Amino acid sequence: MKTVLDVRDIGKRYPGFTLEHVSFALAPHRIMGLIGKNGAGKSTTFKAILNMVKPDSGSVTLFQKDFSRHEKECKERIGVVFGGVDFYPLKKLSAITAVTRTFYADWDQERYQKYIRRFALDERKKYKELSSGMKVKYLLALALSHHAELLILDEPTSGLDPVSREELIQIFRQIVKSETCSILFSTHITSDLDKCADDITYIQNGRVLQSADKETFLQSFAHLKTPQDAGPLTLEEIMLRTERSEWDDNAAL
Amino acid sequence: MITLLYKELRLAAHPASLVFACLGCLVLVPAYPYSVIFLFGCLAPYITFLHARETNDAWYTAVLPVTKRESVLGKCLLVLVFQVFQLFFSVPFALLRHALHIANNPVGLDATAAWYGMGFFVYGVFDLVFLTAFYKNGYKVGQAFLLAAIPLALLMTATEAAAHLPALAWMDSCQPEHLRMQLPVLAAGIACYGVLLLLAYRVSAKRFEQVDL
Repeated sequence: MKTVLDVRDIGKRYPGFTLEHVSFALAPHRIMGLIGKNGAGKSTTFKAILNMVKPDSGSVTLFQKDFSRHEKECKERIGVVFGGVDFYPLKKLSAITAVTRTFYADWDQERYQKYIRRFALDERKKYKELSSGMKVKYLLALALSHHAELLILDEPTSGLDPVSREELIQIFRQIVKSETCSILFSTHITSDLDKCADDITYIQNGRVLQSADKETFLQSFAHLKTPQDAGPLTLEEIMLRTERSEWDDNAAL
Repeated sequence: MITLLYKELRLAAHPASLVFACLGCLVLVPAYPYSVIFLFGCLAPYITFLHARETNDAWYTAVLPVTKRESVLGKCLLVLVFQVFQLFFSVPFALLRHALHIANNPVGLDATAAWYGMGFFVYGVFDLVFLTAFYKNGYKVGQAFLLAAIPLALLMTATEAAAHLPALAWMDSCQPEHLRMQLPVLAAGIACYGVLLLLAYRVSAKRFEQVDL
């Protein structure tokens, strides 16, 4: 299968937490949701993919190239958004853009202006003056302006109101449809993924519980259904019932 | 390298660091311990690193097409620009002081060629300790500065003391024959600065590659 991202057996040991044999693959033009409760290892997985933390084991292949050996080349082709992390809060957007564009050979100023207008961003504003939703939109505008082929979004919708979340989900769908782009998107708000994800990877306690296309994923958790459930389970129900059964197991111990 | 430096100056550098870099002009003050200027040249990177940490500069750099090694290089270049600019910026003021026939600085060493040589050496030692200590973890700026402040204080004291030792009186003189004697001190200082900063970059980059952000 042709992939844009292939994560194989990533492992990272911390005191009190271990990421173990995390593996999944993302095909072109698809949206993959990475789900798991807080502290499950979603952000650590992203950081390991981006070499922000040094994995103890495993490999990351981006666009058929080993990321550790072709880090710069791979990073030129991706866009990353960390929700909830404020960069240079006192700098104006125009200053951040002026610097960012110098790092990308493929920077497209016309496209940047198009997204700035579409997202109604004011470049004269300081980063801290933007709302959480606008910050994500600004970072998306930067990513799309250098023709990123893969967007890695860590909790981009967390802390946003339902209307802003709905709007962002709509934008993600349009991006995948109109641009040659794939999205890897972590969240603990699973209802967002019900609306837009093609594939789901579920991480629990640092391990991948399941990674598959959405239909297969939902089927693989059919055993969690009760006689009262008429239709298929939602991602939220799957997550709740899985985590709840783990609490029950722990309680039994 | 230009791109990295542009990013550092435009986004990471704290404005106060730029002010400190301009304090080379203090060599015009008639009576002043000029080695304090070196302290300002060391406070400039300290404040900028502190500012960079608080503005998540390392995270932003990590998502750009930049390796960890290059992000360290960017910071080293910024430190070099602060310190070399500061010493160069002070030269016209030192010459002006000479032209105005202002009496010899009674506090300590004058802004002679030997003083500049000592300055480069002080900066080299400070940078080696500060940068390598900081990049052990990438966030403990205060601890790295305190550690580097020990050799800084000792070398500043030694620089000021040189003016009061009769055997080293030539270091405090602007007479042409004494300036000639000071040129090797200046050359050695510049050479030490280059070597120590290069070493600081290499060790820091190696350490930072192991750091988890």
